Amino acid sequence: MSKELVNAIADMEEKQALDLASELLAKKTDPMLILDDCRSAMEIVGQRYEAGTYFLPELLLAGEMLTEITAIVKPEMAKGQQIQRHGKVLIGTVKGDIHDIGKNIVTFMLDASGFEVKDLGVDVPAEKFVEAIREFQPQVVGLSGFLTLAFDAMKDTIGAIQAAGLRDGIKIMVGGGPVSEEVRNYTGADAYGKDAMAGVTLARQWVGVK
Amino acid sequence: MVIACATVIEEMLPFLPDDVPYETLEFGLHLRPNDLRESLQRKIEQARQRADVLLLGYGLCSMAVVGLKATGVTLVIPRTDDCIGIFLGSCAAYRAQIKQEPGTYYLTKGWIEVGDSPFEEHQRLVKKYGEAKAERMTRLVLKNYKRLGFINTGQSQIERYRDYANKAAERFGLYFEEIQGSSALIRKMVFGPWNEEFVVVPPGHTVRFEDFALSVCDQEQV
Repeated sequence: MSKELVNAIADMEEKQALDLASELLAKKTDPMLILDDCRSAMEIVGQRYEAGTYFLPELLLAGEMLTEITAIVKPEMAKGQQIQRHGKVLIGTVKGDIHDIGKNIVTFMLDASGFEVKDLGVDVPAEKFVEAIREFQPQVVGLSGFLTLAFDAMKDTIGAIQAAGLRDGIKIMVGGGPVSEEVRNYTGADAYGKDAMAGVTLARQWVGVK
Repeated sequence: MVIACATVIEEMLPFLPDDVPYETLEFGLHLRPNDLRESLQRKIEQARQRADVLLLGYGLCSMAVVGLKATGVTLVIPRTDDCIGIFLGSCAAYRAQIKQEPGTYYLTKGWIEVGDSPFEEHQRLVKKYGEAKAERMTRLVLKNYKRLGFINTGQSQIERYRDYANKAAERFGLYFEEIQGSSALIRKMVFGPWNEEFVVVPPGHTVRFEDFALSVCDQEQV
């Protein structure tokens, strides 16, 4: 583990974090270890957020650093042989909602846990999910939303997936700030995740990874 | 009696008869729905001595009102996602705005006054991290936003707040739009009728998520 990298990310030192990640790669550090450091750093950021010393801007910058480091690290991973994908996850923030920090963290975590993830972005219409399911053929679909008005969009999206005859082949999880079991039930999803790790756990269970 | 969020009470006061007591809770609670629910429940327990009916100046607010127990009082809550629906006069008007531009950051006079917005937070970030990093962070916060929707609720000194909103929009690359607010929902809340736009919870009952059934707002024509 690189303590410097963990601290650089946790302390919002973006340039330093990127430089360190590149240095580590140049020294032939296992890319998975670098991603592990990112995950550890995110935990610290999360704790500081809970403790009230960090706020949304810090969470977002940390998320951005993850994305940037993943982009540097990934090509190195592709060269190696260790890429063994557990399965495919399609993810996106539903129509009418533009919040994506939670979704981006889940995407990163799934990716780092060995899933192939396709991220459709924010304000994604139901038809776009349907189309992407046909093309990408995921085992798992994750619908994200932060506003309560996303609940109806989640429900509509699952309805559209059903109407297209694609519901049976896939598992659907919903997530985002206020999502609860009541909301899961309302939307017709198979499960909800209360945080990013829960989303990863669900996906692992569904594709049969222990 | 009224219990309202600090930003909502401002819009209610012009309509509230003098003999109706009110209490407020801080705006910041909206980010912590569980704390908000607990605070509201405490206020409800206290209020039962003083009132039979309690008007809550809140919406569904990230599910914060779900699970509230109407102990000894009747609860009346506007059936809307959050306070933006209250300021715009109906949850249908709110959802119509979302359809038009999902990437809208809303500001009202009340929000500008409590200073809880990315534009004010930017100042905190500058102090803590310096200009460049603060700029990077605030731009990230606003990344998916395109419009700054200034809701004109007809308050006094509106020019000052419009000016603030306009400058904030320009500073951070959002397009400014003034959205006409409406006191329709607030007036109905204070004077009735508590029609289908309200969730009315009789004494002894609990607020349920199903009570909100907000999908109706998508169908209504505005």
